[in-house]
Amino acid sequence: MISKEDRLKIQAWVDGELAPQESAQIADLIENSLTAKELANDLRGVRKVLKNGEKTVKIQDSPEFYWNQIQQKIESLDHVTDKMDERLESKTTPTALQWLIPIGSLAAISALIMHFNDSEIGQGVDSDAFKPAESIGFQPKSGLSEGSSIGLIEEEVSEGSELGVFSFEGTQIGGDLINPEEAGSLPESIENPER
Amino acid sequence: MDILNSSDDELVRSAQKGSMDAYEELVHRHRDKIYARAFSMLRNEDQALDMSQEAWVKAWQRLAQFKHNSSFTTWITRICINLCLDLIRKRKRQKLDSLDKLEEELGGVERLIEEAEDFNPTEKIERAELRERIDLALAKLSHEHRTVLVLHEFEQMEYKEIAKSIHCSIGTVMSRLFYARRKLGKLLISLKKER
Repeated sequence: MISKEDRLKIQAWVDGELAPQESAQIADLIENSLTAKELANDLRGVRKVLKNGEKTVKIQDSPEFYWNQIQQKIESLDHVTDKMDERLESKTTPTALQWLIPIGSLAAISALIMHFNDSEIGQGVDSDAFKPAESIGFQPKSGLSEGSSIGLIEEEVSEGSELGVFSFEGTQIGGDLINPEEAGSLPESIENPER
Repeated sequence: MDILNSSDDELVRSAQKGSMDAYEELVHRHRDKIYARAFSMLRNEDQALDMSQEAWVKAWQRLAQFKHNSSFTTWITRICINLCLDLIRKRKRQKLDSLDKLEEELGGVERLIEEAEDFNPTEKIERAELRERIDLALAKLSHEHRTVLVLHEFEQMEYKEIAKSIHCSIGTVMSRLFYARRKLGKLLISLKKER
């Protein structure tokens, strides 16, 4: 009786996959054991039969139809890849619009503040209606300073201010909405977000 | 470029530069071979057709990676084999092929050895008839057994290459190949008796 290990080694010997030192051992086994010899012959037999090859199978579809299907798949994949590339590009490369939106927003806020101030001075609008911050005791730390141009809105951390509080410089003509001198009146939680 | 009279290598180089016409010619030349390999592994015409087309699509996408170290047909056949193996794994997850496992565990090989002894592969049979028989016998093998047999006998892959492709040990490959051969031998005898 041949062990399972030896059977597999006989097969490996038939396939020429055995290491030289083991190959000699198995050759010896095949020569001296009838069962081993028969097994080797059977395995060789199956190999020989299979050498006759496989049954020829052919695609029934016409070559043109077969190719068209492949071409369509390739083109649809190329299309998807192009779209993904475009998306990736738009995510990594900032467009003019991506910059214009925040700049535009800042400009709009500045224009509103200007308009508010003009209305308050020139047309005598009841300024109480525009003082929600004051009504809750909120006093911004800094604001638009006199003499600055509208277009140049700088965002800077003012000296001595607490972390996370920024000052804005711009046009400011009078009014008590923004008063940099009253920064100390900010609630602690706003002035220092860490608290 | 005279596509019809160009060699595979010339067509591949042209396709690598983006020529769809060159690639179409490669498809026309080798579509049956790729389909036949897919069919021998899957034993299902529709799936074989899908996988063969998928292989052509994938090969187009990876064409830049082909370094001309092997023949183009070997390269694309490997792609097709990998796709078929993926599909077989998916199918296997859905349906447990318990019968073959049970036979292996119960040591069916001893029975097979005895029954296969009267098998004479050198007997003269018409080549076409023999191929037909081989095909029928292959169809009756489990996916696991058929895969290793096809890869070893028809694709001339070594044990370690097969092990790498099907993600298992060399020992498993040897074992499966052994049982596949024994079973195939037995099936060929029974098919002979049927006729």
